[in-house]
Amino acid sequence: MASSDVVQYRSPARRLVEILTVVFLAVYLVWTVLPLFIMFVSSFKDLLEAFKLPPTGDWAGAWVFFDFTPTVQHYVDLFADNNFGTYLANSIIASLGSALISVVFGAMAAYSLSRIEFRGKRDLFFWIISTRMAPVVAVMVPLYAIFRGAGLVGTLPGLILAYTTFNLPFAIWILKGFFDNVPYAIEEAAMCDGCTRFQAFREILPLVAPGIGAFLVLCVLFAWNDFLFASIIGSGGAKTLPVATKELVQPQNIQWGKIMAAGVVTTAPMMFLGLLIRRYLVTGLTMGAVRE
Amino acid sequence: MADTSSSTVELDGTADLASVMRDGRRTINYDPPHLNPVPSRQYYFYLMLPAIIILACITIYPFFWLIYMSLHKVDIGGAGDVWNDFKNWTRLTRDSKFQDGWWLLLKYSAMCMFMEVGLGVLLAVILNNSRAEKILVTIFLMPMMMAPVIAGLVWYYLYNGTFGWYHWLLESAGILGETSILGGTSTAMIGIVIVDVWQWTPLITLITLAGLKRVPRDQLEANMVDGAGPVRNFFQISLPNLYPFLLIAILLRFMDNFRFIDAILVLTGGGPANSTKILPTYLFDVSFQFFKLGRGAAIALTLLVVTIILGLILVRVFDSPASKTGQTQAGN
Repeated sequence: MASSDVVQYRSPARRLVEILTVVFLAVYLVWTVLPLFIMFVSSFKDLLEAFKLPPTGDWAGAWVFFDFTPTVQHYVDLFADNNFGTYLANSIIASLGSALISVVFGAMAAYSLSRIEFRGKRDLFFWIISTRMAPVVAVMVPLYAIFRGAGLVGTLPGLILAYTTFNLPFAIWILKGFFDNVPYAIEEAAMCDGCTRFQAFREILPLVAPGIGAFLVLCVLFAWNDFLFASIIGSGGAKTLPVATKELVQPQNIQWGKIMAAGVVTTAPMMFLGLLIRRYLVTGLTMGAVRE
Repeated sequence: MADTSSSTVELDGTADLASVMRDGRRTINYDPPHLNPVPSRQYYFYLMLPAIIILACITIYPFFWLIYMSLHKVDIGGAGDVWNDFKNWTRLTRDSKFQDGWWLLLKYSAMCMFMEVGLGVLLAVILNNSRAEKILVTIFLMPMMMAPVIAGLVWYYLYNGTFGWYHWLLESAGILGETSILGGTSTAMIGIVIVDVWQWTPLITLITLAGLKRVPRDQLEANMVDGAGPVRNFFQISLPNLYPFLLIAILLRFMDNFRFIDAILVLTGGGPANSTKILPTYLFDVSFQFFKLGRGAAIALTLLVVTIILGLILVRVFDSPASKTGQTQAGN
């Protein structure tokens, strides 16, 4: 933390601290990556190899982890026998559908909320953000009862609506902060030049487009990673990847290789998307409270 | 939305410039309000309307439905709901699992928070301005992109008593006996906390890093001139500047601990012997295993009330200038 332009005397204690920090970082790196690595590697092991473990205390035996012939059989099986193609499509439709609805309507609402003042605006805001923060299970109790009555349980539209309960408030809240940063003077100038209000809105779109795109991706990510809604509201006709993966766990016959492969299929796209919107991640995950 | 009665709406290009200008001024408050005619505000309300309607349908309507359900014996079979004299509520006072659920939820959240904040801040301080900051942060945040349920499954595999690598590691190191970490009533809670820590510590690190970047450099330097070393500098200057950020981080994690139980459902399902049956998990069981939706509604309401209180605190923190602009007011 000390600024670099101050010349520092490197005492032994300082060296020790430096070594300790490197060790700490290395340990933390292993701690973070190891579960992901084991998931990834295990997905290429066949049934028996996935269960291989050295005897307790036999540290040198740990190399059996790498003693296997890689196979992509699990990935093939997932799509051939377990219908993962359908579940993948369900996941994509449900998360993308809800993200699009949320971002389109959310952007409209956020834009106007950022441009006008009215009584009760703060209350409206509080309502919006508190719906986003409500525990998923608690929201699901009445939603399940209502959706059941409406015949929406087990359908993709039902699932999309369910995801919208957390994605729409998120989109409104976060995009409002985004529009706040665009000076009204730009629209004003455009309207002076003869633009209509809507054309003026289009004028500022390029300024906010990257952000809107990033938060669309984030909405997809939230919906994709959901398990509770998908397992209850989507149960039956609208099974998504996380639910399908969970269902591979059966008491008698746990096929870990296959489960790990399903885990990779579910996780990999989201990691890619996450890295893609890396710049907006902190803002998004803190509901706009913190900017990097 | 009181203004819908006023007359002109100008969605097309025919709006006269003067009114546009006046309206434009209005939003940034150049003029006292009485000078500003309101008609074109309708335009904004129309833009807002679809989102508000959708949100009302999927949040307010269910909320009242929830209250209604909590007062009835709900039968999803279609036999109709029966008023049951607040039985759902009075039962809660005698429901030991409900009370334990709250206690366990607090315990779980506190444990997660303690480890995540400690580890996250330490990591942020070490990473801040280090050469490898960018690449390391990018690697560290990978677990956050994972569906919690998949994270749960992976850790379930790692913890497994017969073929789990982490179990083998712990057993070989002599930390753990024969029983797996999720199998013992005293260790299961630690097991689920570890998964949460693994997945969400990076969020605290990210927030803290954002905060550290905004610690005023002149203060750090002034303090160093006064003879402070890096440690004293951290506690005297950086940490006070970090408080708003840490508060946000803690509140967000706290709410997420209430929100998500995906990993727990996979890892322990609330067991063994209910030692990890935190309230949302219990609520899940009551509502979607036993389908006692009336009782579930009552429990859900208690959970919602607490969340709303937390939300009120959070919004207040959000509004504080320190978190909003990042210009920490360490000057005062």
